Amino acid sequence: MAEKHISIIHPRPSSIVAALYTLRDLNVDVAILHGPPGCSFKHARLLEEDGIHVLTTALDENGFVFGGREELSSLLQKTNEMFNPKLIGVVGTCASMIIGEELREPIQDADLDVPVIGVEVHAGYPNNTKGVLIALESAEDIGIIDGEELERQRHLLTEATNVEKRHGAASKEYLVPSRGDVKYKVAGRIIELLKDGKKGVTIMNAKKETGYMFADISVAVNEVAKKLGKEENIVNMANVDDSLGLPRVRDHAKNIMAGFEKNGTIIHENIGGMDEYPVTGELVTGIIKEKYADYDFAVITGVPHAIPMDSFSGMEVISVTNGPRQVHPLKDMGHKYVVVEIDLHPKTLGVNEIVESEFGATIRELAKDMLD
Amino acid sequence: MGEKKIIAIYGKGGIGKSSTASNVAAACADEGYKVMIIGCDPKSDSSITLLGGKRIPTILDLMRQKIEIKEEDIVFEGYGGVQCVEVGGPEPGIGCAGRGIIVAIQKLSKISKSMDDMDLIIYDVPGDIVCGGFVAPIRKGLVTEAYILTSGEYMPLYAANNICKGLAKINTPLSGIICNSRTVTREEDIVGKFSEEIGSNMIAFIPKMQIVQDCERDGFSVLEKAPDSEIAEVYRGLARAIMSNNSTVMPKALADERLRELTR
Ligand SMILES: Nc1ncnc2c1ncn2[C@@H]1O[C@H](COP(=O)(O)OP(=O)(O)O)[C@@H](O)[C@H]1O
Ligand SMILES: [Mg+2]
Repeated sequence: MAEKHISIIHPRPSSIVAALYTLRDLNVDVAILHGPPGCSFKHARLLEEDGIHVLTTALDENGFVFGGREELSSLLQKTNEMFNPKLIGVVGTCASMIIGEELREPIQDADLDVPVIGVEVHAGYPNNTKGVLIALESAEDIGIIDGEELERQRHLLTEATNVEKRHGAASKEYLVPSRGDVKYKVAGRIIELLKDGKKGVTIMNAKKETGYMFADISVAVNEVAKKLGKEENIVNMANVDDSLGLPRVRDHAKNIMAGFEKNGTIIHENIGGMDEYPVTGELVTGIIKEKYADYDFAVITGVPHAIPMDSFSGMEVISVTNGPRQVHPLKDMGHKYVVVEIDLHPKTLGVNEIVESEFGATIRELAKDMLD
Repeated sequence: MGEKKIIAIYGKGGIGKSSTASNVAAACADEGYKVMIIGCDPKSDSSITLLGGKRIPTILDLMRQKIEIKEEDIVFEGYGGVQCVEVGGPEPGIGCAGRGIIVAIQKLSKISKSMDDMDLIIYDVPGDIVCGGFVAPIRKGLVTEAYILTSGEYMPLYAANNICKGLAKINTPLSGIICNSRTVTREEDIVGKFSEEIGSNMIAFIPKMQIVQDCERDGFSVLEKAPDSEIAEVYRGLARAIMSNNSTVMPKALADERLRELTR
């Protein structure tokens, strides 16, 4: 099938930033941006919240002309003294890559005992997954991950890109952001369904650390069901397999599973690793067809557009996303309600347990009003 | 003294742009014009024959040292009062020479007052316009007239023809073709025809003469070292032609077939 061609007229997630996040998942202690000081500023700060140091070689007008080989090698040495890192990443930028900077030589010049992953990336790739891939390939080059994991990730990235092209942020030239449906109204609808004895599935299909907040929604739904004595009407699925993915991603799965247990939320179906959100669709469809085809509603959180609609025939679908631009595509897919957890990602950085979501809080509060 | 002229001479690498530029600069200075030559080649070889063979610090040399640059640090007076500037560049193979030209020219326009009083400013650009930075003088609207230097050989003409395409694309008119001879048969004829067919004309024919290189080797223009030579007179003629020229055209490049026919 010929791919539908959509020109890019709207800024897209950056491959440089994707490489930074990937380095974080590989547990680097410091990531150095080789480029201008303003490049990826906001994400650099966010990542610092997440416990890694993000530095820059701060190339200026002179740096663009003369290159920054020395700046990079001396910053690497300084980094080593300041932070005593066990693993360092260096990330290219548009400016440094266009002028032909090379990362390998300055890394050699710095001559550190610590392994350094050099990621020659810029933001000129239409899909930011390219940044992830280059980072992983560079990590494999120096033996930080093995070839098998690289292949696995490569497959997941291709699928993630396909998911975005099918129903996500890359499905249209321009997507109008939306705040989605009013949380109060949707929370009320969920409570009503539970009260009426309807049977529902919650599916957390979250991308990595975003699960810390999406998990809270599954927990909240279960709390209300319990309050109504309708626990057995709810089945929970979540991608919290802690044996898969990069080191940090496995930790997230462990932490979130522990959170579910602490809150008494039983995960009936563990649908994969926390980096497997693009490939859980088929599995979920199979499970539902086999066991839960007669259920009345579904609450899907995380990357809801990765789960095909034919899983849910006859069900009322409620989804929760953190992307304001995901609202219209989800509605187009046939989701009855779409809730947006705005600014979710920053709140899930630097945490290691489930954090309260606005929608979860709304469900809890409203349940108090409606049921007590 | 008429309007200020800001020109650039384009052509294949090695065809003689820098030596023509410096000889023309010297000839114009002899005529009493105030002239500045701005070398935009990272090789920094545009002004050397106007300065008795000495090299001057380049704009980018000083920028690299991060010192505050004043006009007198980068603008040097050469033969006949010609103001000489060299942009310079990073070490070959490192950084970005194109960006260097852009930044250096911005710097120069900002700090140079003498630019305003010039009658003629010549940008001496490298032959291979390998990236956007190398056309920055034209793109930024600094250059008002472009000349193309070529011999009657196929490759230089091929380059000249490509430059015509480039000029048309960036909407810069062509003021004329200069033939710098390599003593090819029917050369004057070939270059004359080429000029005509692209819609322009050949404003000078410079013979190939050993004395150009001899003077250059000693660090001088022929105007300074051999003012009575035959070729010095040719450069004077070219200088007058440039200073009095006010006809420009948008060149139409030839098809490659035609170009081959011409040189056959
Ligand atoms: N008319 C001429 N007669 C003899 N030698 C010439 C003539 N024009 C240029 N040259 C020589 O050709 C060589 C290359 O010229 P140059 O000006 O450096 O070329 P460009 O600047 O186009 O790369 C120089 O050694 C120069 O002296
Ligand atoms: Mg030259």
